[in-house]
Amino acid sequence: MIPRYQKILFGTLMGGIILMAVILFYEHKRAQDRLAAANDATPIAAPVDSSTESIALDLANDSDGAIAAQQRQLALPQEPSVRARALLERLLAEYALPQSTHPLSSGAAVDDVFLLKLPLTSPESPAARPKESGELAVINLRGSFVDKHPSGVEVETLTILSMLGTLHANFPEITEVRFLVDGQPHDTLAGHAGLLRVYPVNDTTRGPQTGASSFGDPQ
Amino acid sequence: MTPHRSSNRIPVPGLSGRRPLLAWAALLTLVVLAIPGAPAQTGFNRDLIVLDPAHGGANMGAQIADHVLEKDITLAMALRLRSLLAARGFTVVLTRDGDAALSTDQRAELANRAHAVACLVLHASASGSGVHLATSTLNNVTPNPGAPVRWDEAQAAFLTQSERLADQIATALNRSQLPLVVDRAALRPLDNLQCPALAVELAPLTSGVSGGGSDATPVTDPGYQQRVGEAIAGALILWRTQARPPVMAPARGASTAVQDGQPAGATP
Repeated sequence: MIPRYQKILFGTLMGGIILMAVILFYEHKRAQDRLAAANDATPIAAPVDSSTESIALDLANDSDGAIAAQQRQLALPQEPSVRARALLERLLAEYALPQSTHPLSSGAAVDDVFLLKLPLTSPESPAARPKESGELAVINLRGSFVDKHPSGVEVETLTILSMLGTLHANFPEITEVRFLVDGQPHDTLAGHAGLLRVYPVNDTTRGPQTGASSFGDPQ
Repeated sequence: MTPHRSSNRIPVPGLSGRRPLLAWAALLTLVVLAIPGAPAQTGFNRDLIVLDPAHGGANMGAQIADHVLEKDITLAMALRLRSLLAARGFTVVLTRDGDAALSTDQRAELANRAHAVACLVLHASASGSGVHLATSTLNNVTPNPGAPVRWDEAQAAFLTQSERLADQIATALNRSQLPLVVDRAALRPLDNLQCPALAVELAPLTSGVSGGGSDATPVTDPGYQQRVGEAIAGALILWRTQARPPVMAPARGASTAVQDGQPAGATP
């Protein structure tokens, strides 16, 4: 014979459990709807067909400091700044693959790439810095990418050289690169390689840098 | 009685004689040579090495392992290297010998005042393999006597010497069969150093595999640090006799260098 107070207690607990389950299910639906609303994938621009093309990626190797050009087939947008961004994203995605020789964490890395004609002149001084020509690429990296990037002199240098080399191979008109992180100037990539300077863009492919007299042309 | 004037004169050697003009000309030449502004060579103290253990204080550097920070590894390596160099007759200046937080400008200023024969900036990383040597990314320039040296380009005049120093250390590391990567890096305070300078980064010792595998020797391993330290100390003994100072503008210490029009050492 079960006492009455135990029956009441059992019923109350069961009721509580059912109520909690209903609230949980309701909140779960609400959270799902909220995320779906934030992830609005409604197309803004009309989709365009673009055929795959061969592009060169300058891939770095941590173990010997080498940077080798490798061809990939890829469909890229035609608008230059979007194209540059997609190219860099593809390059950095390669480094997130399991057998990468320069392992980086996965995830979006480049927020935007802005291309500016050189020389950069103001209306007051139209003839300033006449030696510059070509284009300046301003690469706006995501803070999440910078936060997760491995820290070290060589590993950070290789990431930057790899990006510069890939841009050089696919955008010969780009002659200089500046880096921003979340839209702001940032001291270093992950504590070592400086991001405040303007980097000249040139061919960065090279063999193993494993011995004396490995110095190539200054970057 | 009028005293004889010539009896009160103090005789000056070289000026009282038959050729006083010649003596004055020689004196004038000495004075002109002593005036700052003439090209001069910046000398090294060949027994002095500057070691800069990177990071410190709140700037912890890379997370090498769960409870191992880069700033601790660089300091341990610097202390070990100081002992090895002192045993070989060098005087060693450390930019920090505790957990002090110094800016890169302060480190460069300390190093530039020493006129050392070599400046080594020590780093450590969990990425890559072996020892990484890096010199500045600046272009090599021949200094223009009398022209001010830009703070951000102070290393340019020493770049050839820095590369030779890197070659010397690379050869010693190769001889010790330590894996090695020699590169250039955009790294502060390398660009601000007025001495043959390079960054030495210690990475896990792996056998040809990228990244630190489970069988890799960690950078915390005292035996590994000792091998690297001994190779570097051996190379620096040779370097002591081989270093050649560049012909520089008159040495005025760090005050010669300017940063965006500000004197060196000014708060950016």
